[in-house]
Amino acid sequence: MEAPAPEPLPLEGVRVLELGGGIPAAFAARWLAGFGADVVRVEPEDDRLTPDEAVYLLPGKRRVHPAPSELLALARAADIIIEDGPPGALAARGLDPAALRAARPPLVIVSITPYGQDGPYAAFPATNITAFAMGGIMSLTGMHQREPLVTGGSQALYLGGLHAAGAAVTAFFGALVHGEGDWVDLSLQEIMAGMLELYGPRGAYEGAVSVRSGNHVRAVWGLYPCADGFAGVCALERQVPALFALLADPELDEPRFRDPLERPNHDDELQAKLYAWFGDRTKAELLELGARHRVPIGAVVTPRELLENASLSERGFFDTVETPAGTARIPGRPFLGLGWRPGQLAEPVPAAAVLAEWSPRP
Amino acid sequence: MKRLPLEGIRVADLTMMWAGPYATRILAEMGAEVIKVESPRAWDNLRTLIPLPGVEEPWNASYYFNDYNRDKKSLTLDLAHPLGRETFLQLVTHCDVVIENYRADVLDNLQLGYDVLREARPDIILVSMAGYGKTGPERDYVGFGPIIEQMSGLASLTGYGDDGVPIKTGISYGDPVAGTAAAAAVALALIRRRRTGRGAFIDLAQREVLSTLIGEAFVAASLRSETPVHRGNREPRAFAQGVYRCAGQDQWLAITLRTRDDWHRAAALLAVDPALPGDPTDHDVIDSRLTAALASRDPQEAFELLARADIPAGRVLDTVVIHDDPHLLARRFWVELPHPRMHPWKQPRTTWRLRQADPAPRRHAPLFGEHNDDILRGLLGLDDARIAQLRREGVIGDAPINPGVG
Repeated sequence: MEAPAPEPLPLEGVRVLELGGGIPAAFAARWLAGFGADVVRVEPEDDRLTPDEAVYLLPGKRRVHPAPSELLALARAADIIIEDGPPGALAARGLDPAALRAARPPLVIVSITPYGQDGPYAAFPATNITAFAMGGIMSLTGMHQREPLVTGGSQALYLGGLHAAGAAVTAFFGALVHGEGDWVDLSLQEIMAGMLELYGPRGAYEGAVSVRSGNHVRAVWGLYPCADGFAGVCALERQVPALFALLADPELDEPRFRDPLERPNHDDELQAKLYAWFGDRTKAELLELGARHRVPIGAVVTPRELLENASLSERGFFDTVETPAGTARIPGRPFLGLGWRPGQLAEPVPAAAVLAEWSPRP
Repeated sequence: MKRLPLEGIRVADLTMMWAGPYATRILAEMGAEVIKVESPRAWDNLRTLIPLPGVEEPWNASYYFNDYNRDKKSLTLDLAHPLGRETFLQLVTHCDVVIENYRADVLDNLQLGYDVLREARPDIILVSMAGYGKTGPERDYVGFGPIIEQMSGLASLTGYGDDGVPIKTGISYGDPVAGTAAAAAVALALIRRRRTGRGAFIDLAQREVLSTLIGEAFVAASLRSETPVHRGNREPRAFAQGVYRCAGQDQWLAITLRTRDDWHRAAALLAVDPALPGDPTDHDVIDSRLTAALASRDPQEAFELLARADIPAGRVLDTVVIHDDPHLLARRFWVELPHPRMHPWKQPRTTWRLRQADPAPRRHAPLFGEHNDDILRGLLGLDDARIAQLRREGVIGDAPINPGVG
């Protein structure tokens, strides 16, 4: 496909105020900055980000330490405010969301909290792991014989940021079309409780608890040790014949494995065959076989390996950021097809410098 | 009544399984008219993945399918049939967005790539969300959510830490993450279209989106060549952190002790000895004392006891208990919608709570082909003879052909 002509960034000229300073607000605002918004981050009083998180989440933003009057002026001039403070934190800083929105209806405010703005737990403290637990995903993650396990990184917090980015641009589009923004109340718990795959609706409909299945939901949907690490397969019924063809084991032609209703009764036996098959092969061999035979096969790769990945390089996935410790390479645009601007880290600037440019919106 | 942001936007939805339908559920919740297109020969697998025993038309009675396809309309069209393709292109002229999560080569094989769609509708927004994108040497890889998790780097970060084994998240985690990003992409493309008049071709690789959720691991890898360390449920930034068994069937409580002060207050609340040896075994000592103290405690009581004292705690809510969580009930998060084939059950409300527009689920997922007539006659203006022809040639249908398990 021919490349489209150079184009303006989709959020060129859109003013975004980031408040709170945690991963949720910072990640959402990172996407908006990349797509062209003028993002001003109000620095929190204590460091909410590790140095590595700051390298990832702060490029392309202007950072300020505003006085209270300057903060109000920034909020009044912004098009989108994204914040991850506790409920009531905005109002406590003189930025009551309802009042700001009444003064300027197109304004979009997105708040990310562990439990939402109201309800009996609204004031409870939370961290990534407690939020992950309250969202239900943790009950499904880990080995059945062991304690539930939190997924790596800070997934509850990043999910909050991901949803905040989507909600912010959607509400902003609504404001462009209908003249009115909104105040979006995002709860980390609700975000996760609404993405429990089939297990959530199954619990609701059948009243049956789904248990942690470790690395094997079933034999053909699992993760196995291989010759140089770990690799997995996720075969739907229509892909099982191709997987069996790869294993080249005559026993797999027998009805106990072929028949999808019989197969679950012989899952241990099938798992043993897959352990043996995966164990003899490297990640590269397995990936190549999967692609060639249209079998969903993957391999557990590390960020270091991905930094050398040819597909990601060809697609221009990584941005580079200059840091005192050297050049960091970080995930860049989340998808292709819209203009994206990689950013660099910068020292804080006086809020007055921003306000000189941010004239009041009509 | 305030309008939803995407009111007036029409979406032709070719997505199946979970990632794509999760995206288009969000679009529907935000007010878009979403027309789900399935072939009588290739329907959304979710309809038949977990058939209810003994039910008639299981493809119309799946709670799994229903929860992620609410508020959409169903049109059947066999896109591999010339008349199906032609009818789809007629539909595209009435749409703002086409979205698909086929394997990377499928849409082009159907001769429905971006250039073709753009001829039908010059400002069309096409969102493709293949696992690895439309370009690059890995574009032909096949994958679902757990595989995306492995290939994004995330699985390498997760593990108990004592055995070196990476652990997958208990859901197909890559799917809803990619779906949310795709919904964001639609809004961004609509904003750009409003400003420039131009459509867009969004090439979203599900693996890349998931990698953006572990950005700091790439910083560590590129600056210091670090390989992820499995820490189980511990967190180096906290004084101590873990997950502890409580009374009941497989009930657990996650606790973060941010500081030594948190530990002292938690110890007092749970009546355990706060004194620590002051050496590297401190965390193990804390774990063993909390394990002993919580084993006979009710998880809800222990959760509230700690949280009310400003100590971060969270119940590991299982997939049944979560539907009775007092807070989610108070927030009216679970909603029950009538369904013609199933008894009511608690479904999640939209998580993008626009406080003024107040989006709420409106209607159950469509029955297979339920809106064929609405769309073909009402929207496209086809006459009876043409619709009869489409039916006769199997381009449209009221039921999947040869449905089995999976």
